[in-house]
Amino acid sequence: MNLFHELGGACIFFSQVMKTYRKYSGYQEAIIAQIAEVSTRTLSTVIFAGLFVGAILVLQFDTMLRRFDAQSLLGGLNTSSTIREVGPLIISFLLAGKIGAYTTAELANMRVTEQIDAIESLGTDPIQYLIVPRFIAIILSSVVLLAIGLSVSVIGAIFIAQFSGMNFYQYIASIPRFVGGWTLFEGLVRSLIFSAIVATISTFKGFTASGGARGVGKAVTESAIYINVYIVIANFISSFILEWIHDLFFFFLHFAERIFP
Amino acid sequence: MSIRFENIFKAFGPKKILDGVSFEVKRGQIMFILGKSGMGKSVTLKHIIGVLEPDAGKVFVDQFEVTSLFTEENRQELPKVRQLCGMVFQHPALLDSLTNFENIAFGLRTPQYREKIGRALSEDEIKAIVHEKLALVHLTPEILELAPFEVSYGVQKRISMARTLAPGPQYLLFDEPTTGLDPLSTSSINQLIYELSRSLNVTSIIVSHDMACALSIADSILFLDQGKVLLVGTPREIVQSKIPLVTEFFEETLSLLPPDWCVPWEET
Repeated sequence: MNLFHELGGACIFFSQVMKTYRKYSGYQEAIIAQIAEVSTRTLSTVIFAGLFVGAILVLQFDTMLRRFDAQSLLGGLNTSSTIREVGPLIISFLLAGKIGAYTTAELANMRVTEQIDAIESLGTDPIQYLIVPRFIAIILSSVVLLAIGLSVSVIGAIFIAQFSGMNFYQYIASIPRFVGGWTLFEGLVRSLIFSAIVATISTFKGFTASGGARGVGKAVTESAIYINVYIVIANFISSFILEWIHDLFFFFLHFAERIFP
Repeated sequence: MSIRFENIFKAFGPKKILDGVSFEVKRGQIMFILGKSGMGKSVTLKHIIGVLEPDAGKVFVDQFEVTSLFTEENRQELPKVRQLCGMVFQHPALLDSLTNFENIAFGLRTPQYREKIGRALSEDEIKAIVHEKLALVHLTPEILELAPFEVSYGVQKRISMARTLAPGPQYLLFDEPTTGLDPLSTSSINQLIYELSRSLNVTSIIVSHDMACALSIADSILFLDQGKVLLVGTPREIVQSKIPLVTEFFEETLSLLPPDWCVPWEET
């Protein structure tokens, strides 16, 4: 029940942020500053984790594909699953821990020390001043960081594949068989959804924190838990919907090809 | 021109915080709100600047009915009320990411302030105002380029006051301004509040536990208990009151004061 209650609160907060974003302008400077802060703080972690995500996947696929003597498919399968599914998921978890926890702690601390009330009392909308720049910066930098993380995963996988005796050219050649425009689209859509979840929940939990130092700790813990749970749920729902859209899209594509050969 | 509460009710969950609170503070007065912890004193202040919305009742600040400004169509008026009122919080509440200078200048850079004066201030004008307000709270410019955490708690409180004074509010609201300060700083902050209120001719509402200070500088004192107004009156009326809770509070405070302390009007 709490999960739905929090989700409702987060949705209202999201709509409030969007309304404020549309109402005011001139966020560029604050957004750029936030992007720089978020990216520099997280880049090394994402690269490091991305490298290992690719390496783990290639080892797992290699073990299975060897049994069926289908190692020629390793490059395609590994790259496809990295971009579509595992990469965005694992890297989003890392971003939740790194960006999400930091943002929640920062905002919650500002809330319990009355900094947010002070901003409000000076006639400034705290959502406009504090939340919107962080929100946009988290989404933009998360998508960029995810793209970097996925690229590093793919590169890491190629290196490990080389070590496990796989032919480099064979590995690369199998990639286009599994990875196309749709795969990249799926990866991008998922990255956007997960980034929006990280941005919404982390700012929402921080902004609504209460109860002193204990309240800050509670907000950070809840933020981490809810972000991860919502990402998993969103991953399932997005897989389902994207699969459906994919089938529908290709159905119409084949249909069109038959009518207009 | 006044701040007026009309039958305000506020609860957080099942807990009643304000239970039919009514009072009025006239322009230029210094009012102290006294009472034990958790009696709704800070909540009362937050209703004035519209940070909290009451469950029932009306709050007026000059011509504005604050309680009607929470609807979507009236919300744009709320910053105007906040421009009239300046609040000093219990904690200094300075923004960690800004320097002390930027903290004091914060209210001068807001769109609402630009709207109020009809133009944007130049950097030189902002600097001049910041220095003027800094002098008012008896601080020197050396601290301006430091971060809030690089100065003492007492100095942070003064910077917080300077920040509140910068946009030129007509009403000053102090939420336990001397909490966490040593007796010397407490006395100096109380003196400062008195000086500011009189020299700037602003109305001040001070939430405090400091009965001695209240009796010395207040024009009126409001005593809150269990979310209800127990008594409103002049310091003399408070001292002469026969209400047990007020007497008890007064005697408890008196026991903490030096033996030679006496109420100000008895000195002469």
